[in-house]
Amino acid sequence: MSSGFSRSEPLQGLRSKSGGGFRRAQERLEEEVAALFEQFRGPLLRYLANCGMSIPDGEEVIQEVFLSLFQHLQHGKSRENLASWLFRVAHNQAMKRHHQIRRDLEWRAEAAAEEDVADPGPNPEEQVVNNQTQRRVLSVVSAMPEKDRRCLSLRAEGLRYREIAGILDMSLGAVSVSLARSLSRIAGSAQGGENS
Amino acid sequence: MSKEDTHLTDEQLLLSLEGELPARAEKRVRAHLGACWACRARRKELDDTIAGVVRAYQSEFEGKLPPIEGPRALLKARLRQLSSGEKSKGFVLRRLGLTAAGVCGIALLGVFLFRFGIARRSPSQLRELTVSSPDSQLTPGATVLANRWAVCSQANVKNKAVPAVLRQAVFQEYGLQGADLGAYEVDYLVTPALGGADDIHNLWPESYSAEWNAQVKDALEDRLRDLVCDGSLDLGKAQREIATDWIATYKKYFQTDKPLAEHLRRRAP
Repeated sequence: MSSGFSRSEPLQGLRSKSGGGFRRAQERLEEEVAALFEQFRGPLLRYLANCGMSIPDGEEVIQEVFLSLFQHLQHGKSRENLASWLFRVAHNQAMKRHHQIRRDLEWRAEAAAEEDVADPGPNPEEQVVNNQTQRRVLSVVSAMPEKDRRCLSLRAEGLRYREIAGILDMSLGAVSVSLARSLSRIAGSAQGGENS
Repeated sequence: MSKEDTHLTDEQLLLSLEGELPARAEKRVRAHLGACWACRARRKELDDTIAGVVRAYQSEFEGKLPPIEGPRALLKARLRQLSSGEKSKGFVLRRLGLTAAGVCGIALLGVFLFRFGIARRSPSQLRELTVSSPDSQLTPGATVLANRWAVCSQANVKNKAVPAVLRQAVFQEYGLQGADLGAYEVDYLVTPALGGADDIHNLWPESYSAEWNAQVKDALEDRLRDLVCDGSLDLGKAQREIATDWIATYKKYFQTDKPLAEHLRRRAP
């Protein structure tokens, strides 16, 4: 996953610049962090929500993540694979708030059901099939072990196996086993649905 | 069927689909797939499942994430605060090379100015604009992804604290920098207790001295929440009504043209 982040500005030694240079470098850094926020806020928010965090809590975590990123870059630390860095820090922050996390997949499924009734869309038959498939997938995902859910969510956000392994502190093999297990379950649920 | 021809596992098929297999293993998988219909069919099933997962993830949140403007403005304000903190630490203490005696002198001057009322303006000198209703351009209201179950299963959090940087941004947005900020409560237009968001578009400075003040609005919020949670009012409708014109909504739900006396009890900050 490309971070899209410019690597042209070496930040080591930012603090040693003269007053005007320091201010300009800080402003550039603020802009760069804001640009990364635009790019990654959605994927990070989806990941945290898929881990069972509420959207407002997720927003707060993401604010902290990007303030940490600002300090990380300000101190001239590594700019390698910032996408992976962002997900890792978001994941760790989410773990710290674990006591606040609640699994809200059930109410989201309920919300989806309410919306089906309220807004069937322009093509009701297609909409019903799509909604059924979506609900089936989400219901299987919600019943998965937490680690499998996180693996699948990170992969859906475009992270590679090695990056997922780093974020979740798992071996590469464990990531592939987890993803294969998850997809087999989802595929199995589709066949079960067709047969029933 | 020889041992080499036994079917590929889901993990092997997935690693192949994902381009995660080493070259030699990938070659073996491809050779097997060339000869085995069952594994090709299973590979397609897995590929279709991936497509289904992606669609489910995307559609689950499509159009449902709160707008980015508020969180982005908050982040920028916090970054600016962080930068200026760094700058003042580095610039004042290090770059200008102030001595400890100089710092003490500035501190003493500060104490002197404070004691003799030179540095602070008294509240009477500050202007106060009475604000009862938000500017709909600046504060149209913003909500989080929440349904009735989520809203009603949480405690009714009243007067949730607004982060200081966001408060400042709201005062600036409403042009109240020179006003007595103690005369206002930065209030949520759609309260978090009804799914309102921590978003600058959902915040406004509400005068304590106004007839239609924050306490009156709190009473309306409690009423709407009760109605939503007992199922007699749709959550979306409650959010829309309070965001459109909270005073008209109060009049409607309390059947009155004036704030009720029991809602006006506490007006001071």
